[in-house]
Amino acid sequence: MPESIIRTIDLTKRFEDLIAVNHLNLSIEDGEIFGLLGPNGAGKTTTVLMLTTVIKPTEGSAVVGGYDVKEHPDDVRKLIGICFQEPKILWVSTPWDVLNWHAKVCGLSTQERKTRVKEVLESLNMWEHRHKKVHGLSGGMRKRIEIAKILIQRPKIAFIDEPTAQIDVIGKHKIWNMIRELRESGSTIILATNELYEADILSNRVGIMHEGKLLVCDTPKTLKDSILGGDSVEIRLENEVNQNVLEKLKAFHEVVDVISTNPNNLRVYLNKAEEVVPDIMKLFLKHNVPITSIHMSEPSLDDVFIHYTGSTIEEAEKEKPLRRRT
Amino acid sequence: MKKLMLVVERDLRMFMQYKFLIIMRTIWFASQIAFFGLIASRMVVPDLADVYFEYYVAGVVIMMLYSASVFIGYDIFEEAEHGVFEYLLSLPVSRKELVLGRSIGGGIRSFIFVGPIAAIALLIIGLANPLNLLIAFSALFLFAFGVSGMSITIAVALKSSDRFDILMGVLNAFIIRLSTTMYPHSFVQDANQIYAAITRINPVTFASDLFRWGVGIEKYLTVTPMPIAAIIGLAIFFFTFVFIGVTVYERRLEGGGWQ
Repeated sequence: MPESIIRTIDLTKRFEDLIAVNHLNLSIEDGEIFGLLGPNGAGKTTTVLMLTTVIKPTEGSAVVGGYDVKEHPDDVRKLIGICFQEPKILWVSTPWDVLNWHAKVCGLSTQERKTRVKEVLESLNMWEHRHKKVHGLSGGMRKRIEIAKILIQRPKIAFIDEPTAQIDVIGKHKIWNMIRELRESGSTIILATNELYEADILSNRVGIMHEGKLLVCDTPKTLKDSILGGDSVEIRLENEVNQNVLEKLKAFHEVVDVISTNPNNLRVYLNKAEEVVPDIMKLFLKHNVPITSIHMSEPSLDDVFIHYTGSTIEEAEKEKPLRRRT
Repeated sequence: MKKLMLVVERDLRMFMQYKFLIIMRTIWFASQIAFFGLIASRMVVPDLADVYFEYYVAGVVIMMLYSASVFIGYDIFEEAEHGVFEYLLSLPVSRKELVLGRSIGGGIRSFIFVGPIAAIALLIIGLANPLNLLIAFSALFLFAFGVSGMSITIAVALKSSDRFDILMGVLNAFIIRLSTTMYPHSFVQDANQIYAAITRINPVTFASDLFRWGVGIEKYLTVTPMPIAAIIGLAIFFFTFVFIGVTVYERRLEGGGWQ
């Protein structure tokens, strides 16, 4: 059983009448990338702020790296690093000053500091901008400085809030790789994001938050498989399929529905497509029905989100209901 | 201790960004002594005009030290606007180190700012006893740290830059006017007994007395015995606001509501 590096029990945060986080029970394993997924206003950032001791929980408890956030906040802060959603930098500062001071306060030696600040700034294409005032940099550049803090620090537990917001596509891939490298260097990563694709490709496990509550938590694959008939397989045949083969196809335990879009084309809704498709191919070949092409698609985390919340992440962001104290 | 010094270093670096402010404040000081000080000293009896001018120059140095130490409160709003608070609170620095570091940083940078001004004042007044001046300057650090702590505390408690600006203006009017920066305590006593009682316990009076004692203008001191009474007064002021600062900082920072 993997060891939990973060555990929350009924963690709750109220801001006057608003319940931002509502009895959150969460366990994050040492060394994993945990995706905390949800629309803006779901409670992700508030959760991150409580776990990093920036704000205090109203109720419940949270243990981070073996320390209770309320009882031993100073010990918690020695283990963590945070990349905020919005860059937290004064506009009169320069990237070099910000990162150099951050590295110092996080306890890096002079040599480590110089090497890492240079390495990370170069990797993020920010080296030539290191002495420019922050107010002269674009939103994407500022975000890169924010993420550079955590890449330089390499904390035991890294909280990364919307790491690729305002970052271009090439930059996103670069940052994703750097997050993976950070995990490989020994960090546990909590990735708060509303980008479902980002959570899907980076996370070992995903927790979906909505209206302050954790709805579901598991690996992306298990969550996708939990949607009955979520996979679909489009099969194009040389000949028209007969009723007997169709009945046998429907008899597969994993097959939920079969639709004939035209006489030579079938769309099969099923679970665990990657395991069943070889058997389906065998069935058609056995009955002498050659297959022209086959196309598989699995559900995305978008589908998982819709399945558990009843709305898309964009719709959920538009709703943003006030969660009143009960 | 290392973390505390890093917090101090950060505030010092930030202060160096405000070149325009530093230049303007220096011009303000120059105009205060070149115009107001010279002209107002002609209003006192002719024999004491030069004495009052020196008395006033020493007072202006303390006024400058006070207003430079207050400035860190304005930084707090700048930081709130850019969310830098949350960043500072997430660092491996204890809340005590953070508030103490910021108070000290605010105090030191006001000293850096006031240093050249104090040097000009010494040229005007002269220096009777270097050891006294050294003791006075050491104790004035407590004053500067305390004022910075007070400014941080008020900024964090109010969470409104407009209110902070107005309150600091009003507070400045009270704390400077009801002190001995501009006039000796005996004149305050003649005017009003309540004013005199407040003036006696005002940290700005302690600071003004200490500086005047340090430069050798001992004739019009309020607090005795010098310098012990003034140093004790400033130490109480410093510890009070650092303690209140730590408490208020922790309680008030979270939850937003900054205006």
